[in-house]
Amino acid sequence: MSGLHWLTAAEAAEAIRARRVSPVELTQALLDRIERLDPKLNVFIRLDGAAAMEAAKAAEAEIAAGRPRGPLHGVPVGIKDIIDVAGLPTTCHSKILMDNIAAADAVCVARLRGAGAIVLGKLSTHEFAIGGPSFDLPWPPARNPWNTTHHPGGSSSGSGSGVAAGLFPMALGSDTGGSVRNPASACGIVGLKPTYGLVSRRGVFPLSFTLDHVGPLTRTVHDNALMLDAIAGHDQLDPSSAAVPPGHYAAGLERSVRGLRIGFVRHFHETDLPADPEVAAGLENVAATLHKLGADIWDIRLPALDEFGAVNRVILQSEAWAVHALWLRERPGDYGQLARRRLLGGAFISAGDYVQASRRRLEMIAAVENALQEVDVLLCASAMDPPSPIEDAAETERTYPRQARTPFNVTGHPALAMMAGLSSAGLPLSVQFVARYFAEAMLFQVARAWERAAGTDERHPPID
Amino acid sequence: MDKAIIELLARQAGLDKALREFPDDVTAAAEQASGWVANMQAPSEPRAEPWPPMKPGTGL
Repeated sequence: MSGLHWLTAAEAAEAIRARRVSPVELTQALLDRIERLDPKLNVFIRLDGAAAMEAAKAAEAEIAAGRPRGPLHGVPVGIKDIIDVAGLPTTCHSKILMDNIAAADAVCVARLRGAGAIVLGKLSTHEFAIGGPSFDLPWPPARNPWNTTHHPGGSSSGSGSGVAAGLFPMALGSDTGGSVRNPASACGIVGLKPTYGLVSRRGVFPLSFTLDHVGPLTRTVHDNALMLDAIAGHDQLDPSSAAVPPGHYAAGLERSVRGLRIGFVRHFHETDLPADPEVAAGLENVAATLHKLGADIWDIRLPALDEFGAVNRVILQSEAWAVHALWLRERPGDYGQLARRRLLGGAFISAGDYVQASRRRLEMIAAVENALQEVDVLLCASAMDPPSPIEDAAETERTYPRQARTPFNVTGHPALAMMAGLSSAGLPLSVQFVARYFAEAMLFQVARAWERAAGTDERHPPID
Repeated sequence: MDKAIIELLARQAGLDKALREFPDDVTAAAEQASGWVANMQAPSEPRAEPWPPMKPGTGL
């Protein structure tokens, strides 16, 4: 079969189950593509091709023996390098942790393996999921497959770039201020930050304990739901883990949006952080399309983005300082400059400031909860600009904070970012949907309606 | 934020080495942190509780 690299996870799993494709053939095709394209994209920090081929052979044998392991049996996956994979280094893309070998799989990785997925290796990130894109680290930053002179978003940069480029159909990322949804937006794919507590954080290097989420990046909404089915679930040893029943997220994807109430948060991109005109037009097009499909579009107001951002940063900086203080005192020169500058800030925030941010956070949660009593789903911007040129540090610094993702790290609501179209320069534009706590199925339903109408899952970057 | 205050706070936090080797980074971090704190509104209700709420069980 040709074009194996553009098979979705669902298509690949079905083809493997039906024995039209072997996991060995699929894994080898992806390894060949990685060998050809990764020197341009810098997606991998550590490719573990030999282990992946061993796992593919084992999957082939299990399937041949009539022992399917799960819905992702034989499907390759990439793992952001702040997430533990047993026996491989978890470097966090930093000199600080160059030799940090993981003793065990993170819970999310173990669950993917339990569903039959094959781990290909560890993927580029911004240093410690906060400092990037950086050129002063032991590995170069990942690049955007739509245009390799551009930033693929971050911090889950390799996850976004690799999925979009067809190096693997699915990847794990983490999201503390938007780090799954940013690369999904910049690379034109689907990225989900689940409800806080739905996916275990155990085995994931922390950036900020109360803002960190683990989430899937895929080329389609269906694949995203399949991945969430695999990784969601209670973990008694993660103190933030929620005890909620499984969601069966891939089950209701094709339901109509007729009659759903969708709240359009226009002030985020119209007045809080005025968006690039093509981004704004893309958002209006998404709203108009969903309206044509039968959804009611309402205007919704939330607190302003700069205040969400301030609360996010005060909490993030304080918690990150607790993690990094020792290294910042003893080894400041082993960080790249961006991470060092961003992590040092926590030394200058008082305990009182942290508590104030946590109190304000509860009010912001109430504001979003109230909005979601009026509507079923929120629609808003993800990025305010198309991806920036990666070597233009000033433009990246200008555009990076121009986003509407941090509000939902502050509140913990599930939020999904995906392609809204392409800019006149051929770079992805994005949209974000947000739902009630643990209502990821509703989020997927709306996202799938947009995907089906716009054909965003059929668009791939021109890289070969 | 005043330079002397930044230095004092940095030393109090044990950042002598960072101050010596990367003084501009320390200053930039302090100014950025100060900006975020300034942009944050305190709750108007004095009895407002912080998140996470003090309840056991099922998350959120």
